[in-house]
Amino acid sequence: MSGRWPAAAVALLCALALMVLVVAAPEHLSAIDQGRAAEGALQMPPFGADGRGRPLWEYAAQGASVVALPALAAGLLVSAFSVLGGVVRAMGLERVDPMIQAAGEIVGALPRMVVILVVALVLPREWRGLMPLALTWALLSAPGAMDEAAAVAERLGGARFVEALRAHGYSAPRIFLVHIVGYNLRPVLVRQGAEVMSQVVFLEIALSYLAASRQDPSFTHSDSLVSWADILYLGYQALAFREPYGHAVVLGLGLLALVTVFASAVGRAARAR
Amino acid sequence: MKRWWLRPLVRFVAALVLPVAVPFLCVLLLWALPGDPASIICPPESCSGTEELARRWNLDAGPGHYFWSWISGVAQGEWGNSWRLMTGMGVRALVEESVPNTLMLLGLAFIPVVVGSLVAALELVNERVDPVLQVIGAVPGILLALLAAAWQTLTFGPDGERMAGLLLGAAVLGLADGVFSGAVLGTRSLFGSERRQRYVGVAVLRGERIIENTLPNVAPAFIGQLRARGVQLLSGAVVIEVVLRIDGVGDLLWQATLVQDFGLVMPVVTAFALFSSALLLVQAVAEIGVALLVRRSPRVPLGGAA
Repeated sequence: MSGRWPAAAVALLCALALMVLVVAAPEHLSAIDQGRAAEGALQMPPFGADGRGRPLWEYAAQGASVVALPALAAGLLVSAFSVLGGVVRAMGLERVDPMIQAAGEIVGALPRMVVILVVALVLPREWRGLMPLALTWALLSAPGAMDEAAAVAERLGGARFVEALRAHGYSAPRIFLVHIVGYNLRPVLVRQGAEVMSQVVFLEIALSYLAASRQDPSFTHSDSLVSWADILYLGYQALAFREPYGHAVVLGLGLLALVTVFASAVGRAARAR
Repeated sequence: MKRWWLRPLVRFVAALVLPVAVPFLCVLLLWALPGDPASIICPPESCSGTEELARRWNLDAGPGHYFWSWISGVAQGEWGNSWRLMTGMGVRALVEESVPNTLMLLGLAFIPVVVGSLVAALELVNERVDPVLQVIGAVPGILLALLAAAWQTLTFGPDGERMAGLLLGAAVLGLADGVFSGAVLGTRSLFGSERRQRYVGVAVLRGERIIENTLPNVAPAFIGQLRARGVQLLSGAVVIEVVLRIDGVGDLLWQATLVQDFGLVMPVVTAFALFSSALLLVQAVAEIGVALLVRRSPRVPLGGAA
């Protein structure tokens, strides 16, 4: 017992909360009702209202729907790259391994946010959204994840481990899928995937916040949607200009904590026994 | 390892190639996507005279022509003009004005990283503070930046104060997104695992200091960690500069991206590539220095054999 089950329970609860938000996300925000503007969580449960009387739970739900699929896709992509890194090292492919390392050095030398902005710049308007940016982020994160997975495979014995299992009569799928990926690489794959998922969420918040703070359209979603960054922007106005949006600060911090706890709990739950 | 020079050589070559490769890749990316570049930058449905603009922006003769004319202009000190953000204004002046602010921000942000790494290397960080470090590391930069910006507005008014913005930005950049905690925990783990090696025990029995024995062996990995933190700071600088209104290259890149000013994005991206190259060069030189140091003939005490 190493705290894996409690961590799994926490991860499951966080995932459920996020899924509920995604499923409940309305296509459009409610109509403006100035009479209920900036109402707190007690007057307009569960999270209060914005400056135009629209409920903040709709912001939270739409924000979750903006990030859910791209974050999941990025997490899966990074995990797939980790598998590749680990399997290449385990197979002892002496020509491919240095090439992966060299590519990793070059990709790792680039500041990620700069690459993301360049991609956002050159994307045609009809392609704009979080998905291409999330996948780019995953590609930039992949070398680190592959390196870590390769180090795990190396500690395992690399090609000698595979040879030993072959000598026991195990089939290739059993060796690679069960023993290498399932038993040994799993903690790295799951943790890296979860970390990249949370990073994509924070990336979306950062990009949307920067756009919102200058009244510009966001790269990550259409103008008809709102994101969690809009909640944080209300929170900023509460803190900096004493606007009556204290409830937005609480909600914004809560959502960020939810994502952070989810990523951390998933990584903890997948730890090796 | 026989070919110890291979890794520093790869870094050296990468450092030389990066400032040319990065803008070249940007140009290729612009041409590789569906639709012609001029229509991406200036869509016909919302922008008139796309063909004329393509001619003026040098986008009408293919990626090779565009890149070659841009790079030969840069080599002659002619960096071109801003297309949209400050139409017609020379981008060189804009970039030169912004670089010192970004360098100052990065330099200040690097202080907690270096201090944290040194303190961890000297075993001055107790494991009981790990949970605190992990919590600090989990805080996203955008959140800390937002809190810092709110405090700055409350204290100095909506226009802020330059030095306060830089100091706040550096503190946020150095602490958030796991930069500080990663430096402390990563360094401690690096030195800790080396300290458990048998040769260190033998050295202690001989009355030698641990750090003198472990440092040459962990130095390449330690330098690599510091470079990774440097790249992380470069990446984070974009968000911090925009939120805290610091007039650096990150802020310039953001503004240029918003208005699709490719003429300004190219030199700014090149400036970032130059920063990355400088970090790679420092790492390569340090690795060579360490490799030469550990390969020196050991000093044998005279008269010991007699």
